[in-house]
Amino acid sequence: MTRPTLPFLATAVSMLGLSNLAAQKGLRDIPDTRIEAQLEAFNLIEGAQINLFAQEPAVANPTHMNWDAQGRLWVVSSPLYPHIQPGQEEQDKIVILEDTTGDGVADKITDFATDLHIPTAVLPGDGGCYVANSVEVLFLRDTTGDGVADERRVVLSGFGTEDTHHLVHTFRWGPEGMLWMNQSIYIHTHLETPYGVRRLLGGGMWHYRPETRRAEVFMKGLVNAWGHAFDTYGQSFMTDGAGGQGINFVFPRSVFLSSPGATRILPGLNPGQPKHCGLEILTGRHIPDALQDAFAAPDFRGNRVNLFQLTDKGSSYTSTQIDDLVSSSHGAFRPIDIKMGPDGAIYVADWYNPIIQHGEVDFRDPRRDHAHGRIWRITFEGRELVEKPDIVNATEPELFAHFNAPEGWTRNAAVIELRKRLDASAEIEHLTPPAGVDPELFALRKLWVSQATWPAGMTTPLDVEAALALTEAKNHKVRAAALRAIYYDAATIPEALAAAEIAVGDPHPQVRLWAVSVLAQLDSPDTVKIALRALDGVEVDEFLDFAVWSICREHAARWKPLTTEGNPFASPAQLLFAVRALNEPVALPQILAALESGELASDAEVAGIADWVSKVGSAEDLDRLFQFALRDDATAAHRTTVLAALDSANKLRKLQPSGDIARLAQFLQSDDAATFASAASLAGLWKLEPAREGLKAAFLDAPKNQARARAALDGLVALGGPATAQLLDATAQDADAHFLLRSLAVIGRTRMNPGEGAKLALAVLPDAPDGADPHGIYDAFLATQQGPGALAKALEGTTLPPAVALTGVNKAQSAATRPEGLVAALQEAGELKPMKTALSPEEMEAMMKQVAEAGDPHRGEAIYRRAALQCVVCHAIGGAGGVIGPDMVSIGASAPVDYLIESILEPSAKIKEGYHTTLVTLKNGNAFAGAVAREDANELVIRDAVGNENRIAKGEVAEVQISPVSLMPPGLTASLREDEFIDLVRFLSELGKDGDFKTSASRYVRHWQTLMPHPSTRDRIGHYGAKIFTDPISDYQWIPFYARVGGAVPFDELPEVEGRGRNRLGVARSFLEVKSAGEVKLKLNGKLADLEFFHGEEKVELPTDGNEAEVVIEVKEPGRQKLTLVGLRSHGLDGVSVEILEDAAKAELLEVKEF
Amino acid sequence: MKSPLLLGLFLAVAPLLDLDAKPLFQSGDRVVFVGNTFVERARLYGHLETSLQLAAGPEVEGLVFRNLGWSGDSVFGDSRSYFGPPAEGRERLARNIGEIKPTVAFLWYGAETALSVDQGWTDETADAAAKVSGSGLEASKALFLQGYQALIDAVRSAADGHLRELVLASPPPFENLGAPLPDQSANNRNLAAIRDGLRELAEKNGARFVDLFAALGGDAFDGQVASPALTEDGVNHGEAGHALVARELAKGLGYPEGPIAGKDSEALAALRAAVVEKDRLFFHRWRPANETYLFLFRKHEQGQNAKEIPMFDPLIAEQETKVEEARVAVFAGMPKN
Repeated sequence: MTRPTLPFLATAVSMLGLSNLAAQKGLRDIPDTRIEAQLEAFNLIEGAQINLFAQEPAVANPTHMNWDAQGRLWVVSSPLYPHIQPGQEEQDKIVILEDTTGDGVADKITDFATDLHIPTAVLPGDGGCYVANSVEVLFLRDTTGDGVADERRVVLSGFGTEDTHHLVHTFRWGPEGMLWMNQSIYIHTHLETPYGVRRLLGGGMWHYRPETRRAEVFMKGLVNAWGHAFDTYGQSFMTDGAGGQGINFVFPRSVFLSSPGATRILPGLNPGQPKHCGLEILTGRHIPDALQDAFAAPDFRGNRVNLFQLTDKGSSYTSTQIDDLVSSSHGAFRPIDIKMGPDGAIYVADWYNPIIQHGEVDFRDPRRDHAHGRIWRITFEGRELVEKPDIVNATEPELFAHFNAPEGWTRNAAVIELRKRLDASAEIEHLTPPAGVDPELFALRKLWVSQATWPAGMTTPLDVEAALALTEAKNHKVRAAALRAIYYDAATIPEALAAAEIAVGDPHPQVRLWAVSVLAQLDSPDTVKIALRALDGVEVDEFLDFAVWSICREHAARWKPLTTEGNPFASPAQLLFAVRALNEPVALPQILAALESGELASDAEVAGIADWVSKVGSAEDLDRLFQFALRDDATAAHRTTVLAALDSANKLRKLQPSGDIARLAQFLQSDDAATFASAASLAGLWKLEPAREGLKAAFLDAPKNQARARAALDGLVALGGPATAQLLDATAQDADAHFLLRSLAVIGRTRMNPGEGAKLALAVLPDAPDGADPHGIYDAFLATQQGPGALAKALEGTTLPPAVALTGVNKAQSAATRPEGLVAALQEAGELKPMKTALSPEEMEAMMKQVAEAGDPHRGEAIYRRAALQCVVCHAIGGAGGVIGPDMVSIGASAPVDYLIESILEPSAKIKEGYHTTLVTLKNGNAFAGAVAREDANELVIRDAVGNENRIAKGEVAEVQISPVSLMPPGLTASLREDEFIDLVRFLSELGKDGDFKTSASRYVRHWQTLMPHPSTRDRIGHYGAKIFTDPISDYQWIPFYARVGGAVPFDELPEVEGRGRNRLGVARSFLEVKSAGEVKLKLNGKLADLEFFHGEEKVELPTDGNEAEVVIEVKEPGRQKLTLVGLRSHGLDGVSVEILEDAAKAELLEVKEF
Repeated sequence: MKSPLLLGLFLAVAPLLDLDAKPLFQSGDRVVFVGNTFVERARLYGHLETSLQLAAGPEVEGLVFRNLGWSGDSVFGDSRSYFGPPAEGRERLARNIGEIKPTVAFLWYGAETALSVDQGWTDETADAAAKVSGSGLEASKALFLQGYQALIDAVRSAADGHLRELVLASPPPFENLGAPLPDQSANNRNLAAIRDGLRELAEKNGARFVDLFAALGGDAFDGQVASPALTEDGVNHGEAGHALVARELAKGLGYPEGPIAGKDSEALAALRAAVVEKDRLFFHRWRPANETYLFLFRKHEQGQNAKEIPMFDPLIAEQETKVEEARVAVFAGMPKN
């Protein structure tokens, strides 16, 4: 269908007519709006084809869509987004699209409503439709039969509008007949319901029951969750348009990323994935077998639709990405919703816009498209379409038959229709399962019908007897679903407690998770006691653990008072779990007694007790902990744990054990690094003067053992006094001393007195190798309030080598306080020219042209990966890389080039959602900047720009601000030549677009460690061969390394490790987590003649020539498998990739990402 | 629901007559409504302002109404606070009041408290308010009245000497719509208790009090299913409910029902439509979308567009003229008394 597109022409002309520079520079970015241009740009999964179902002007900027029982597609669209202009009418639309001829193209188009304000969801049902209209959820109805809404009712009001792409959205009918809806991070919602006020401050999901007008929060968090789907058994999965963890498994009271005030959050199933908008599970006879039940999630930034396969894992799931359903090189293809249709085909709403978002890009950027929009339809060649079921005219038994259809669409349509047939349950009650339908699933669907059809006057529609019967089904998924059916009205179901009590002991962890969820709804005084049993006898994963943790807190009032009488639970371990969940000083005597008697003795239990006592215990409690560590039979692990806990108790709460502390001295002799570190720190904090000499010796031994020396320095600084000052002054001024030792001396002195430290710094910094500051002298100044000023003052009238000064400028400019005085002083001392951070419109124009014409993305990738630029340290691409900044996986497909350039030169100009720097100023003037990693009542944990986590006592905090400054320093690219800068931008601009720089679904091993040069390799390799690199030698230093976007490890970037003679090697290793024994198939790509490959310590034979080999490794012991690649760098070996060939959905096999 | 309106009227009007026989409105009054869901939704229907415009009579000219309703709000400002604690909601309200400088203020709270007894209705942290709000009717009511007094003081102070009249409205009663919707009998008893407290609070503050609870039959509520229903869900009023409550409000303020009250006419419909349009424009002015980017912590990204928000002012002023013209037209078509 290629109608002439007059509205577009009008838009294009008006854009051309704009005279401001932004418009001109942007015009080049505007993709060809013709349908043909989009059709040519699609890249489809094997066997698929695509056609246009509908387009503008019928749909312009569609935001959401759902089908009605008649098989008509209801679409909301919002040309008004992102913000109404003064004088602009509210004219956003609901349009009904119908394909009356069955040719896969909408031929009947009805504007149902045309007076909406940024509608973000529409859901037909109950004889009309529900629509999200910013502040309100409305119900619109056509009472006259002309196809246009003439009745309007406010269903709910009080949804926040703080950000118009976070508004209440993503409506769905659940299998139980409830309306489900989501809201996002910045939205604060306040509803007055017949059941009381309900507030949701931040992201989360609601369920709403039209019959009872009951709205309740189901889960909280996720940054911008525009996707929700139910699987066959009614479990809920969500996708996040800004969180980047792929598919999220959610359950009642679960809490995810970004939920305000959360003390604990759950991860998604695909960390490091692109961000998604929408979610649909592919089902039905038209879908090829290989894609059955695949989760389809539009990656609107990357102009594609990702697919995932889920398999069970504990109480949750493993999700693995497979090939993309569709991708496009057309930059305005923005798939944001996806729904299966009545004909078995897949329908994709294309918001159509070269610009996404309105945080980073101006509301009024003329490149925004307000006129186009498309609905695409994907079908599979050679597979018959499904005959559209006649839902509306079906009898109740026929409708119920539809509820057993293989197509999710048909099942959902049956639910929508059944909601109107109030007596349906009675008709359906006597039905028996037809051949080929799982009787338990059949019974579950009957149960859902009973819930979905709610005749007036009934207090609950649920067939409780049937639900209880299904809690004993053979299939654990049905048992879990039965508990979920009970969950919503559990408080009114007397049998719910007994059912949950049985189910907490279920063999399957997911059933237990739902049992705990049901308990959380009940008033019984025993809910926590029962819930804690869910932890015994199965492998407890993070999700089940969370559910139990949550109820321990929510129902604390029911068990806390009982602890004064003893242990209200079945075991000390259960009590420990509960008190740790609560994080309050409850039942300390019982727990400490269990520690002392050995009842709680595992490493995890001791660590748990130590951590908890350090947070809530008194000085006497700390003393009991200390005494425990001093016992002769204490293990090294227990000692380390306890000392670390005492250390944080002192730092965070200024508390120390009430008894004799001098016995700490014995730990200063420990060879165990962690024990020594804690003891050294404690010796200082506790002012144990006799420890000074030992600490001094360890400090001076820095070149041999840096970690120990740093710990000793902590102790010495805490001890303080003239003795420490003199030691540090003398060491720093000793020009013959090791640079590391001198650096540490400056750092220590700066922490004692920034002014004195600054004087020493000027003596030491000029000797810094290559101008780098590897040990963190500048950082020491930047970490205190007085530091930057003190250093700036000392710099007056002096000079520094330019490279040294530049390092300082870079560090200062990414510091939380952005100390301008210090930056100026460093620039003057190093005679540096101030960096250019902003381009004039003309320069930007020229630069963009250069990027497009001359930029080389392959060279750009190599530049991106340079250590000096530090890109990789903070940013990941498809999960491989640092976590400080946003993942760059599809930045090129989502961000305009000028935005990329500006973001590199001036990182604070636009800051991505969720990556704002939090600046915490302490009462003593010290400041920490970074992201809030987590917080509880007593402490705040800030992850800084290099990934360190700083624990801060809340009592010490003077102020917490969201800083307008990015953690990314400006000027990182100052060292680049212009052509290099252009290559870098070109590389970034290609990320996520179809081509070499789109992270593929192939399972390349992306997380590696590479060996740093070591003096012993040359000799040892002569004796033992490359196998030496598989030895667990402790003083080998391995550093993180990431594969290229294309999956290869570039050997020329690896550190040069000495081999035989003049051979120079590159060594990289990675780990796979393999669940069960057996064979794992891998594929190696690279020049095989120059490679050796090891699995564990076993050499894997490779062909002696060629560039590709499939190898099989035999996993005997499940668990972590080490893979080591050794290659001859000196022979010009370039990229080597290792790909996991196992069927992702079947093999329980994961890449290890944190070592 | 049976509606013993006579009894209600008596209760509503009697204290007013004692307090002050002068009519509430004067020409040129700037009137604000501060409250929660009922007030917020009133902007969609326009009945509240239309009814008061009519009640004020033809001689009272140029009344300016500003609707500051916010669903789910409490006397502590819970809904107005966005990212901060309720205290920031109170600051926001004070700013709004300070800009409008009202001469008459209607305050309209209490339903949220009556509905949420034992559950909690505020996140206010001072004096453990959040906890108290979840612990029984007496504690909840006392906290509500304490917060309400602070609200009254804050409104007076922010109005900076301009405020001449303060009106406290008790929320209208809840309705029973039949299972599976919940029985609101207990909530109505809570609301009656809160109404009693509001009356005392009004007296103490020299404010007018309108007992909408009584006027709409709350005291005679017998647990029967309402017919016809005034609310959508037992709690929140639909258009017909808004129309009736608006009339009762005018009566409760001592204004006699004029000859066209409750009647349909083209002129009246035009006035109400003009009011709704004015309220729509004002909503984008005082409660714009995207505040995160325009005024809050991401304003360094989109703060440049905040300049558009005051550009609603001339549009509102223009619409205000249309409201006034429509009002004049209504009275012009009316038989003279």
